[in-house]
Amino acid sequence: MTAFALPRFVAPLLRHSLILILIALLVFFSIQAPAFTAPTNLLTILESSAVLLIVALAMTLIIASGGIDLSVGVAIDFGAVFALIALKDFGAPWYVAIFAALAGAALVGAFNALLIVGLGIRPFLATLGTFFIGSSIQRIYTDGGGPIAFRRMEQGFRDLAAGNIAGIPMEIVIAAVVLVGYYLLLERTNFGQRVHAIGLQPRAARVAGIRVGRHVAVVFILAAASCALGGVILAATLRQFTPLAGQSYLLDAIAATFIGASIHPRLRPNVPGTLLGVLFLGVVANGLNLLGLDFNLKSALSGLILVGALALAGLRGRAG
Amino acid sequence: MPLPLAAASLAPGLTLAMTGIVKTFPGVRALDAADLDIRAGEIHGLVGENGAGKSTIIKILGGVYARDAGDILANGEVLAGGAAADMHAIGIRIIHQELNLVDHFTVAESVFLGQERTDRFGGLAKRRMRREAEAFLRDVLECPLDGQTLIRDLGIAERKLVQIAAALIDGKARLVVFDEPTAPLAAAETGRLFNAIRNLKARGVSILYVSHYLGEIVDICDRVTVFRNGRHVAVLDAPNPTRTDEIITWMIGRQLDDLYPAAAVRTADGIEAEPSFAVERLGDGRSFADVSFSLAKGEIFGIAGLIGSGRDELVDGLYGLRPPATGRVTRAGRPIRLDPALAVQSGLVLVPRDRRRDGLVLDLAVTDNINLASLDEVSTAGFRRERRANARATRLADLLDIRPRSVGTRAGLLSGGNQQKVVLGRWLAAEAEIFLLDEPTIGVDIGARAEIYRLVRELADGGATVIVSSGDAAELIGLCDRIAVLVRGKLVEIVRCGEISVDGLIARTTDAAGQRVAS
Repeated sequence: MTAFALPRFVAPLLRHSLILILIALLVFFSIQAPAFTAPTNLLTILESSAVLLIVALAMTLIIASGGIDLSVGVAIDFGAVFALIALKDFGAPWYVAIFAALAGAALVGAFNALLIVGLGIRPFLATLGTFFIGSSIQRIYTDGGGPIAFRRMEQGFRDLAAGNIAGIPMEIVIAAVVLVGYYLLLERTNFGQRVHAIGLQPRAARVAGIRVGRHVAVVFILAAASCALGGVILAATLRQFTPLAGQSYLLDAIAATFIGASIHPRLRPNVPGTLLGVLFLGVVANGLNLLGLDFNLKSALSGLILVGALALAGLRGRAG
Repeated sequence: MPLPLAAASLAPGLTLAMTGIVKTFPGVRALDAADLDIRAGEIHGLVGENGAGKSTIIKILGGVYARDAGDILANGEVLAGGAAADMHAIGIRIIHQELNLVDHFTVAESVFLGQERTDRFGGLAKRRMRREAEAFLRDVLECPLDGQTLIRDLGIAERKLVQIAAALIDGKARLVVFDEPTAPLAAAETGRLFNAIRNLKARGVSILYVSHYLGEIVDICDRVTVFRNGRHVAVLDAPNPTRTDEIITWMIGRQLDDLYPAAAVRTADGIEAEPSFAVERLGDGRSFADVSFSLAKGEIFGIAGLIGSGRDELVDGLYGLRPPATGRVTRAGRPIRLDPALAVQSGLVLVPRDRRRDGLVLDLAVTDNINLASLDEVSTAGFRRERRANARATRLADLLDIRPRSVGTRAGLLSGGNQQKVVLGRWLAAEAEIFLLDEPTIGVDIGARAEIYRLVRELADGGATVIVSSGDAAELIGLCDRIAVLVRGKLVEIVRCGEISVDGLIARTTDAAGQRVAS
């Protein structure tokens, strides 16, 4: 195949084009909607991106290992409902509730691991099955899908969403901690190195003596458990458990991960890239909102950014 | 017996003269002015070592590769083009080594796949296809089969015949090229294939028969061309079993030079006195069975065998990639579980034959590939220490003379020889004791080969046990202390290198005496 040649200066431009577009968007929104640049609004963008960031980081880990997880929504919901059960039915303090949330979501991850590693089902289909099963459990538990409210929530738990540390909203703090944790895990540890090797060439990883199955199992359990923190934030914010609420984060998380991968020199999923992808989606949603444009445009624009980023990455591959 | 069916008719054989064929790939001259001359209606054998140019010339005949230079005369007429369509049009059909049949298709569907007969309304003429397929298999290939049988219910020899029928059913085949047709077959099944091939010859079709099995070559062929290093070196008329030595000499045509390092003197007793690794009656229930041998520290042990001899499966089994079904492996007298991760932990490591797929993570840097199996030693509490990782990788890259020197280079960008050194470097970093080298010098240029041989000898002299599985007889003889010969899944003998010539080893692996091991 003869690919058309691109001038030499194009490659670095393409590599950073996504960041350039993000800056252009920021400039555009701040001119068009003066309220956009207000510090409270910028904080709102971060705050509203916190849950998505947590879920997208989990997705980044999974995609880096060569898999995909369609059941992150179930993990979020299980996190939320386990926390609420601990608080409401057992009167547990907030930290026990968080622990319950992590454990509940880890169950979802463990089930995925069983299907994928134990039974050899491909991640796409295994997690699709988990999604169906988990969604059904929630409907049954809530008698058809109605939310479970818990108005007199313990303040300590409530603060996980409503509180702040030195003026920084708690959600942002939690998301930032998760961000740093995932960065260290994927980019700085032996575990992360092995996960990348598995995601790139599972056979070569196996020949190198890496226990591929064990690593994949840990990846799915860890990712699901971290999604529970998203569920905790949702539960604390709304003071209720909303069945199937987590599902709305799935596609955005996948999109953010691949937007992020498109800025990597070798097109690999990576933590800084995922942060950029999440911010991209957050800025677009917020900006459209302020401009008073149809909110339904948001999906279209997100989709355009995703395919645009991938197209740019493809061009970059061609430019060498 | 009357043969009224159109399907059973075949076109007259092709005379094909290829002269001065040249084909160059980056860094390799695969064919260097090679000649190949096939007469109408003969069975012509083509033999040569790995890399002699046999597969390249088959691909040129199939139109997969275009020749860089050289003439092809088909029945005396110059063939200008060389595309797949041109080759097909003059009646050349390639029977590839791989079967490429769909398991749940019927015999008739498989034979007519891609060339379906239609009725006058454009629908599939199923009954007619079934009848023609059955007639062709029965009359031409002597293989009566029900056209409705599913491929997965057939034996391997029958599948091979279905594959042949599919290539010839259009009746326009004039030269049929068989590429290692018996490689997947058990001994008893080869007879059926030979009958079919002789039948084709009797009907006037020209045949090019490419095989490593010299016993078969002298059995079935009218003439034999020997390739070596991309050239024809001999054409033998009327081959017979007494001439296999002559063929082998032509195939090798060189003395073992100082490509191989000298071995430290080691007595036979020394090897058996200190067993470090023993394999007892190992079998996978399919490709190899009842394999036993025992190795000493400091020994280089070769495994010789052709494609399909079970050599690859044995190596994969020893490393636990495909756990064997029967038998056991002991390390210093104690049985070990066969699993790659456990193997690496205990110091048994594999340098795989497909290094780009299984050996390296191509997208990772050289340093990451070298450290991949022993990350804990260049880290603190699970956190990577880049400086330590790079320092160790650089030290090994220097030791092994890996080029380019920068360990930050992606492994995928290195040449074959340097990639192989990276894999070796990984196992040196992991302080391995038993090295399983599978085709260690495939795709490695001659200079890097000598370096790898020297390195392997140094490993052994340093007390490591090395197992080398290779299809290159000269390599095994030059490098190993002892060599196990696998023929069709059986370990037929273990020979000492001082006591066997390259010819002798090839004669054993190619089963030149024709004494096929019954399975």
